[in-house]
Amino acid sequence: MSRTFRKVLVANRGEIAVRIVRACRDLGLTPVAVFSAADRSALHVRLADEAHLLGDAPSRESYLRIDRVIDVARRAEVDAIHPGYGFLAENADFARAVVEAGFVFIGPRSETIALMGEKTSARREAVAAGVPVVPGTLEPLSDDAAIAREAAAIGYPVMLKAAAGGGGKGLRLVAGPEEILAATARARSEAMSAFGDDRVYVEKAILRPRHIEVQVLADEHGHAVHLFERECSIQRRHQKVVEESPSPFVTPKLRAHMGDLSVRLVKRAGFVNAGTLEFLVDQDGAPYFLEMNTRLQVEHPVTEMVTGVDIVALQIRIAQGEPLPFRQEDLIQRGHAIECRVYAEDPDHGFLPSPGRIAGFHSPGGPGIRDDSGVYAGYEVGVHYDPLLSKLVAHGDDRAHAIARMTRAVAEYRIVGLRTTLPLFARVLQDPGFLAGEFDTSFLESLPPDHQDPEQVDLAAVAAAVMAFRDRGRAPEAQASAERPSPWWQAGVRDGHRA
Amino acid sequence: MIFDAAVAGRTLRVSVRAQDGAYTVDLDGRHFHVEALFDGPFLSLSIDGRRHELGIVRRGATFTVTSPTQVLEVEIRDAARPSDPSPRRAPSGPARVTAPMPGKVVRVLVGPGQAVTAGEGLLVVEAMKMENELRAPRAGVVLDLPAREGQAVESGALLAVVG
Repeated sequence: MSRTFRKVLVANRGEIAVRIVRACRDLGLTPVAVFSAADRSALHVRLADEAHLLGDAPSRESYLRIDRVIDVARRAEVDAIHPGYGFLAENADFARAVVEAGFVFIGPRSETIALMGEKTSARREAVAAGVPVVPGTLEPLSDDAAIAREAAAIGYPVMLKAAAGGGGKGLRLVAGPEEILAATARARSEAMSAFGDDRVYVEKAILRPRHIEVQVLADEHGHAVHLFERECSIQRRHQKVVEESPSPFVTPKLRAHMGDLSVRLVKRAGFVNAGTLEFLVDQDGAPYFLEMNTRLQVEHPVTEMVTGVDIVALQIRIAQGEPLPFRQEDLIQRGHAIECRVYAEDPDHGFLPSPGRIAGFHSPGGPGIRDDSGVYAGYEVGVHYDPLLSKLVAHGDDRAHAIARMTRAVAEYRIVGLRTTLPLFARVLQDPGFLAGEFDTSFLESLPPDHQDPEQVDLAAVAAAVMAFRDRGRAPEAQASAERPSPWWQAGVRDGHRA
Repeated sequence: MIFDAAVAGRTLRVSVRAQDGAYTVDLDGRHFHVEALFDGPFLSLSIDGRRHELGIVRRGATFTVTSPTQVLEVEIRDAARPSDPSPRRAPSGPARVTAPMPGKVVRVLVGPGQAVTAGEGLLVVEAMKMENELRAPRAGVVLDLPAREGQAVESGALLAVVG
């Protein structure tokens, strides 16, 4: 069954909403944005043809309000809704509500989201499909004493995980029985505030694992393919910061094996649209299925760069009922791609969020560079949402070429006014372990701390003194180099159409 | 104009003179020819011909300088008119040299009572596997020298006084 869309509502914010708006434009569709009161001047609002206010800044008053998103969809008369990632993207109730309201959900069916989005049922499904999983409870446990008993039975160290989780929230490594009850309480409370669901389960912790995931695409006509792997081992607080494809760790044999397992599981689950299967790979190269993300992944651009496939555009085309335009044997990995996630966080102080106004923004360019950013100079990075500013992606003929291009791009990138993870990438990209492709998920913890370079100190002193000299005699209020954004813009973006 | 620039736990004496559209900068006794292009929050610097592309934002006396590898905050004071109103703290008074971060004193380069020029190395402190030479913030005599070779020091520990 083929449908043709005219208007698509983008039920998200930030860089991913910008990405989806761009995919809509590429397909000749009209993108409709939604925003919270804190996001009136956000880039995704500025780039859309229409933008509608959802509610107050807290996401449960705006981006998580199913009723309001559906209401906007009705008023704007859209054909389909793209959920992006996070927020409502893996909410089966939302997918069902979208369809019941007469719109197309750009993603899997709500039953598949319920089946594969919930980690314990996804694990049962994997076991049934013959896909290996990490030993652990297949059911979420609401009783803390039962968790402690299961943990002891599996053997420490164990991992506590939120049943409804993702993004590292509600995730705890527990070294021994003395920590289990306190860790369970923290995991439950994180899971409750992040997902409104405090059920957690427990599984064996694989030490020094590789975190490798497989991108899949499936249409409504029974075709499913994988788009190879992404290496996601460089993480902080269990959240990825650097991803690449192909993985320097994965052999052609392991790649084919993980791809086959993924397609097998996707077909068994009746999955449609774009998804990602996450695997832990132990030091012997054995993959264990971890979970499935039934939605677009943050790091999808690295796969797009090496396969030449526009995953977001294909999500929309699949939702229109089109068959996949290629088969597995048509897909190859060409060259190598790396993504660095530029967060408004201070890498020198425990990745503390660093909100504030972006006083200056200069995005790098040139061959092989792609910058998927959601911000601009003058934009105020708030405290309400994930502090991801941009995803910087470099593509090269091989890994060394991609690293050289990424090094060049990181050095060209200028974000002034707040702390970002850019200086961290300058260090990661010249770390011998990273260059050799020898790293695991503990990489950032073992990265040597930043040293105080005396030349940098001298340079900063000269720069500041020259500016102070230039500013001498100016009125103090004229010395503030950052101007406030004019209020016309804030006032201009209200509920409804943009001028 | 002469400034005191406090950055990364150190205070550097910086003098800036305008000259033919460029600047002559004296940093702890070292001279540099500096060309500066201010472009909003960006600053393109040439220091003796070497290029540096920086971000710089000023809030009062605090300048936040962003380079590709580091973000440093610099506190700038007019050395001729110290904003610190405490008595007897004239620019000609004794200057304290303190440890910029926790580390170890690996070498002491001067002795008590020795005359030093501004910018002369006083001692070397190793921190985070990097050796940092701490230099005399002004010309004078080493009045006090509590630092001992091999000594572990906390951030802010007094190492030498030059007056």
